[in-house]
Amino acid sequence: MKLAFQLAYKNLIGAGLRTWLNVGVLALSFIIIIFFRGFLEGWNHQAIRDNIEWELGAGHLVHNGYDPYDPFSILDGHGRLTQEQQVDLFPVLVRQASLYPEGRMLSVALKGIDGQQNLLELPTASFTSSNTKIPAIIGKNMATSIDIKEGDEILLRWRDKGGTFDAANVTIVKIFSTNVITVDKGQVWIPIQKLWEMTGLENHASYYVANENYTPSSLEGWNYKTKDDLLSDFYKLMEMEKISTSFMYLLLLAIALLAIFDTQVLSVFRRQKEIGTYIALGMTRSQVVGLFTVEGTMYSLFAMIVGCIFGLPLFWYLHTSGISFPDFYQDMGVSFPTRLFPSFGIQLILTTILLVVVSAAVVSYLPARKIAKMNPVLALKGKMQ
Amino acid sequence: MNQETIIKINNLTKRFPVGEGEFTALKNINLEFFKGEFSGLVGPSGSGKTTLLNIIGSLDSPTEGEAIVLGKQISKLSHKESALLRNKHIGFIFQVYNLLPVYTVFENVEFALLLQNIPSEKRKKMVNDALEWVGLSSMANKKPDKLSGGEGQRVAIARAMVKNPEIIIADEPSANLDAANAHAILKTMKQMNKELGTTFIFSTHDEKVMGYLDRIIHLRDGMVEEDEIINVNHAP
Ligand SMILES: Nc1ncnc2c1ncn2[C@@H]1O[C@H](COP(=O)(O)OP(=O)(O)OP(=O)(O)O)[C@@H](O)[C@H]1O
Ligand SMILES: [Mg+2]
Repeated sequence: MKLAFQLAYKNLIGAGLRTWLNVGVLALSFIIIIFFRGFLEGWNHQAIRDNIEWELGAGHLVHNGYDPYDPFSILDGHGRLTQEQQVDLFPVLVRQASLYPEGRMLSVALKGIDGQQNLLELPTASFTSSNTKIPAIIGKNMATSIDIKEGDEILLRWRDKGGTFDAANVTIVKIFSTNVITVDKGQVWIPIQKLWEMTGLENHASYYVANENYTPSSLEGWNYKTKDDLLSDFYKLMEMEKISTSFMYLLLLAIALLAIFDTQVLSVFRRQKEIGTYIALGMTRSQVVGLFTVEGTMYSLFAMIVGCIFGLPLFWYLHTSGISFPDFYQDMGVSFPTRLFPSFGIQLILTTILLVVVSAAVVSYLPARKIAKMNPVLALKGKMQ
Repeated sequence: MNQETIIKINNLTKRFPVGEGEFTALKNINLEFFKGEFSGLVGPSGSGKTTLLNIIGSLDSPTEGEAIVLGKQISKLSHKESALLRNKHIGFIFQVYNLLPVYTVFENVEFALLLQNIPSEKRKKMVNDALEWVGLSSMANKKPDKLSGGEGQRVAIARAMVKNPEIIIADEPSANLDAANAHAILKTMKQMNKELGTTFIFSTHDEKVMGYLDRIIHLRDGMVEEDEIINVNHAP
């Protein structure tokens, strides 16, 4: 085995340009695969972190009647907890309402949240810094869609305690920028005390947001969902994304491996005389098969080294400085950060290397197998077809 | 003289499949080679010289009959055993040298020793000795494509003899060489034969080669036509 490595090494170095072309193609696919996987992983981590920081906290204690995906559940999906039951929780009340930007009507989720909270990133402190009657904060996406600026007023209509419509102007005191589209698009945040007053639902909440200290206990009519429960759809999406993107990696890998395969097929054909000579000098055919397989596999080992030389500094740089994206992407309504920090785990790099090396070994072995059936006499004559 | 049999060929027939039928390249050959012989197969093209040499070299096996080389029956050897036989006991010299292009002269000669796991110090000495034999010590680090034809064939001779094999098989070694080079390599081989006792079997059309041989086996149409012992002691 050691001998096969020595000989394969000499053969590859001796082959010059052909070797470095294959190595180059492989190294490039190493880098691209690792880069994209790292990019995706970084994006996912960031999305999870953002969701927790902007919306989820440690979890939500949700009223059994409330389903965030079902607007009809908003009407009755609320209730109240006693003061003692609310330790390490703060309430969020959701109502349906309409905005009237420039004469149009826009259905929104009107959410009451405590201006004192500092668990979520939502800039609720802006409520108190303003003297307006109904201060509201909205996300940038929302602001763009209704074409409104900080300080502007807009007409809001909601149902009061009697179920009849009421209307008033709200003042946009703050427009925040977030990657979490679910707190932005179609959402208007106002102080919860105000919303209680407006709707007569004193101390009611659709859900409570928990902080890290909260210990869930079973409460009649309420259901505690940890942040992981709440993210389960996202996790599923991540899995699907992994599967669909792995097709891309496989394609990329296939192209790189094709280069090795091609070289191997050609080698077995063109180097018959050499193969015959190896056998005449006392190698068994399986040793020659081994030699050719090691040669092909060695492309991937060289590629790994080359990839590390060029890739590691690049990955390190991207990981620490991040990649910045123009606001453009947020404006398209994609949950996309302005600065993304790809994460290149050891595991990611090692599995990619393993994948490439193993598949290189396989595609090297397949054409080399032909050698085992070669007639050494014909090989020496170079007459095999 | 008490001669030791090194190769024995009994009723050997070799047939090749050709299209639907078969072609008989060797017909019922019976031959014996003795240790230290400097012999050659001579005959027209297609008479079966290479085929016989390949069987003796365990690169091929007989269809019928048997070839016993150094006490081993060729047709009964496994891949591993025949590889071992070639690696340790049989040296090959080809018409077109068959040097490994990416290796240096030194590495080409060293190859068979690498397969034998000989330690590097000893290997180095053996390779240098072999290169000295063929007068190429100064070319050790050259690649084969930088050598002349005569030099290339001398490297091939060094490669065949470095492991000190009992038998060296040389299939038309002078066919690509000019007269001066042909004589030079033959002298070297004859000297090895004398000093090291290596058994040589050639195949050739070349009159110059025939002039050096102690024994000429004439083949025609796959049969031994004449087995001619030449009892001259050449010292050209
Ligand atoms: N693998 C093979 N398949 C079919 N026929 C073969 C094969 N090898 C050799 N032959 C035939 O066997 C005969 C003997 O071939 P061989 O190569 O032994 O001749 P040779 O005496 O060495 O000739 P030359 O002087 O041209 O080298 C030839 O007619 C050749 O065509
Ligand atoms: Mg021949």
